Amino acid sequence: MTEATAPVPKLSLIEVCSGYGTVNIIDTLSMTVPQGQIFALMGKNGMGKTTLLKTILGFVAMRSGRIDLDGQSIAGVSPASLIAAGVAYAPQEHALFQDLTIRDNLRLALHTDKELKQGIERVCQHFPFLRERVNQKAGTLSGGEQKMLILGRALMLQPKLLLIDEISEGLQPSVVERIGRVLVEECRANNTTVLMVEQNLDLVLGVANRWAVLKLGRIDDSSEMDTGSRARILAHLKI
Amino acid sequence: MPESRLPNIRVWLLGALVVASLLMIAFGPVFLDRFALNVLSRSMIYAMLAVTVDLLWGYAGVLTFGQAAFFGIGAYATAMVLTHLGSSPELLLLAFVLAILVPLVLGVVVGWLSFGYGTTPLYATVISLVLPIVVTQVAFSGGQWTGSSSGLVGYATLPLSLAGYFRLTGICLLAVAAAAWIFVRSDAGKVLVAIRDNEARCAYLGLNASRIKIALTAVLAGVTGLAGFLFANASGVVAPENTGFVFGTELVIWTALGGRGTILGPVLGTIGIDYLSASLSGQLPFLWKLVVGALFVAMIILLPNGLAGLVGKILPRSKGSRGEGGPLRQAQVMQVPQDVVDKPPLLTIHDLGKSYGSLNVLQGINLTVQPGELVSLVGPNGAGKTTLMRCLSDGTESISGSVSVRGANIAGLAPDAIVALGVGRKFQVASVFDSLTVAECLRMARAARYRPSLVHSSQELDLPSAAVEILKLTALDGMLDRPVSALSHGLKQSLELTMVVALEPQLILLDEPTAGLTKTERMTIGTILKKLTGELGLAAILVEHDLDFVREISSRIVVLHQGQLVLDGTVQDVVNSELVKAIYSGGAHD
Amino acid sequence: MTILLDVITTAAILFVVAAGLLAIFGVLKIINFAHGAWLTVGGYCAVATTGMGLNPWLALPVAFAVGSALGGITEVLVVRPLYRRPLDAILATWGLGIVVGQLITLWFGRDVQFTPNLLSGTINVFGLDYSFYRLFMVLAALVVGLGFAVLLEGTRLGLSARAVIMNETLARALGIDTAKVRLTTFMIGTGLTALAGVLLTPLTSVDPDMGLAWLIGAFMLVMVAGSSFGALAVACLVFGGAQTLVSTFVSPVLGGITVAVLCALVLRISPKGFARA
Repeated sequence: MTEATAPVPKLSLIEVCSGYGTVNIIDTLSMTVPQGQIFALMGKNGMGKTTLLKTILGFVAMRSGRIDLDGQSIAGVSPASLIAAGVAYAPQEHALFQDLTIRDNLRLALHTDKELKQGIERVCQHFPFLRERVNQKAGTLSGGEQKMLILGRALMLQPKLLLIDEISEGLQPSVVERIGRVLVEECRANNTTVLMVEQNLDLVLGVANRWAVLKLGRIDDSSEMDTGSRARILAHLKI
Repeated sequence: MPESRLPNIRVWLLGALVVASLLMIAFGPVFLDRFALNVLSRSMIYAMLAVTVDLLWGYAGVLTFGQAAFFGIGAYATAMVLTHLGSSPELLLLAFVLAILVPLVLGVVVGWLSFGYGTTPLYATVISLVLPIVVTQVAFSGGQWTGSSSGLVGYATLPLSLAGYFRLTGICLLAVAAAAWIFVRSDAGKVLVAIRDNEARCAYLGLNASRIKIALTAVLAGVTGLAGFLFANASGVVAPENTGFVFGTELVIWTALGGRGTILGPVLGTIGIDYLSASLSGQLPFLWKLVVGALFVAMIILLPNGLAGLVGKILPRSKGSRGEGGPLRQAQVMQVPQDVVDKPPLLTIHDLGKSYGSLNVLQGINLTVQPGELVSLVGPNGAGKTTLMRCLSDGTESISGSVSVRGANIAGLAPDAIVALGVGRKFQVASVFDSLTVAECLRMARAARYRPSLVHSSQELDLPSAAVEILKLTALDGMLDRPVSALSHGLKQSLELTMVVALEPQLILLDEPTAGLTKTERMTIGTILKKLTGELGLAAILVEHDLDFVREISSRIVVLHQGQLVLDGTVQDVVNSELVKAIYSGGAHD
Repeated sequence: MTILLDVITTAAILFVVAAGLLAIFGVLKIINFAHGAWLTVGGYCAVATTGMGLNPWLALPVAFAVGSALGGITEVLVVRPLYRRPLDAILATWGLGIVVGQLITLWFGRDVQFTPNLLSGTINVFGLDYSFYRLFMVLAALVVGLGFAVLLEGTRLGLSARAVIMNETLARALGIDTAKVRLTTFMIGTGLTALAGVLLTPLTSVDPDMGLAWLIGAFMLVMVAGSSFGALAVACLVFGGAQTLVSTFVSPVLGGITVAVLCALVLRISPKGFARA
């Protein structure tokens, strides 16, 4: 068997179908995310990227197919237990409790308050501006700062698998760069695997080890990051 | 009733039931004892109330406890006239008229309060709770006028015997039930279901749902008042508990147990439960109420459609129809002439801005659309595309700048009024009526133009030629009698588009019409859109993520980025634009 | 002066009665129409406790335990299947209220029961003799209000509950077990309501319908308050005050509908009630 020799991938999807109502947004999609890598999922809007993340987490029911985490099927595992098992999620929309403090937002990522202090300390090392503002409401942060808080919160648990949805949306290049650096550092330090849905080509080219383009619920094209990747991805994204 | 090939068991059953009821009304007094006659007369009056609760809750989706109040007012009006003024035939007539008129007028007020602009669905229920409490307290504090807590008793009533009242209430119940049965099957009755299913879609088909619900509330308040008149006469006593909130909840319980959304269920449920309650209350009063309560809870959780829903599942269904017993109808399609398109421009947007608090979603948008144009609106997520569409189709959105359709400023106009100006809107998620058939949905799109019949159920379907063509192109013309819930996602999208076209609009707004469709379905929609704009001279504004699709069909592309219009040009202009490339690869930022 | 005390104590009583309903509505977005029944259960807990010859104050913890246990069963069996059908949840909980009421009737009979006064007599406030117990209710309201404030602001459960109120989707995305939060909230809400039922016993007679009289008032106040305890306190003061004034100067009968009518009008003008104001 190959399993004995090849390392078990962190996450693998085999012919997964899922969607809402009568529609399959994700349509017999198969992909593999290797351990410790940053995997970028690109594609135009409406192609099912967010639905894919939600399907992995169990928020959107899988109609058929199989999703394995560390080689184990996660069918029927509740989102809460998945997250407790080290899967973190940084959603794209309405991702912060605007009326809660930054501290409470970070606190909600943990199950107990025991590791709260350490956790906040680690997040503040990545994003020092949060240190003085932990008792301010999250809604008072600027758009870019909010995105950094979202990423910081996802890192609170020191996740094994991190699912990120368009963290760079609407951000200035300097902030995007900073987020990219944090991601790379985190992966190196903790061997975290990252699956990021992203539209910002520069960020993807800067951090990802592997990329795939999603089209109409399937992987249209996929490759290791190499010199030809930029042109190939652009060809998929242009009008 | 048109002929069907197979004898329909439901129609037979219904016919048998009507005959049985008539026989019962005529000969019941011969073999029923005093107790049974008395109780059944009351039960049948309550059953009339259950029918009104059912029309509001089961069909129009408005949970109401307020029918008790209208009933009480009708009963009190009768008793007060007969107590304080006397009981000549003229005064009896006056009592009759007041018993209907006062609840009717109050119904208009309550309807306006419940369904006026900006109310939430729950608010109607809140009002329906407050109303009986207020009426009860007024009855309590009315002193001599209302008899306070003991109510009014001992007034002269209609000169009828026990058997006479039994027959009178029986005939009234049969009439009310039959009228309701005919109404819910009529074209107008389907409008109620459409409002319950999808009020937003109704508004965007040009129907004023609030006004329809207010009218329904008022008319049913009048019917309820009539029941109150009968009750005041038949029982000879009117007391505050007849008008209270608890009685209102009992009506809902009977309706629920009998089966909401059917006329027969609530009638039989009410008569059955009220009669059993009266018979059993002597022996095991509390246990009986306990059983009814427990049954009600279980029914709501497990069997929301009540006993009638259960029976409906067992009885064989007539082919192709979901109602109880309508035979298969083949809708005929007729073509009507299309409106002539006006002089340009169709749409003028001047310096449009929209903000939520300090967040500017749209800023300084200027756009003019001419007849025959197919304008695609593109841009990344959060660019403000859907917000723009909403500002064009709902004049009650607070905006800066102005939007004019065919020269008329739409500020302050509700969606149904903008539809009347010639704007049709197709939503992103197919917005249709899941409880109706394809033909009924399409008829709904014509309801604002041609007032639907209150008694008649149309066999024909009159549609403009463009809509007919879409039906043919999508093969929906062969599925006119199919329930919408059985359609695929793609067919629902096509149906909604057909409904919008059936409005005979001059400007169509489409929000991602191809989301979740297969390649073939996309092609079909594309062909239709090109035809509507190119050949028929309509204008369309299309929000779309699928840029391949946009490139293929648009006559013009407008790019929105961070709430601003950054590019407006031909397909070539946009495809070759460096700015657009930058936006779509995530680079562009102010 | 008496009027002022009446206003404050009336508001306090309304607050204690409505707090449990608000806790449930705020977090679960479910209108618990069995609220009246839980109040009645509390009242009969007082009857049973004193019937066994125990200290009447013991009825408070007993009622809280009984109320939350029944609430837990209710949440799992009745409310959980209906989260997506909020109107049906109103009906099912109302039906449950009937069942509870009839069970109590079968057990204790229809008759009015009497319980010993928890605190009797009057107390001299600013030269006025005023019911000691009504003043105690102000303290009770403050305890309940502050208790909730501490629970919501100070504990993890409170934080989770607030997260669920603000954005349930996001709460789930962060791994919060929303089912557990709902169950716990429902149990606290019903427990508190039963406790309020005990506190009501010196003010009203105890009979199987005792809770019903309070249901609509509490419901309307909660509709106006949204999911905020602060807004509920304001609503109780404003509408409770109006009720006291109407009862005193116009007619007690009209006073009885003041809260419901005024709340309905406020909701008509501002559908969000006091929650945003």
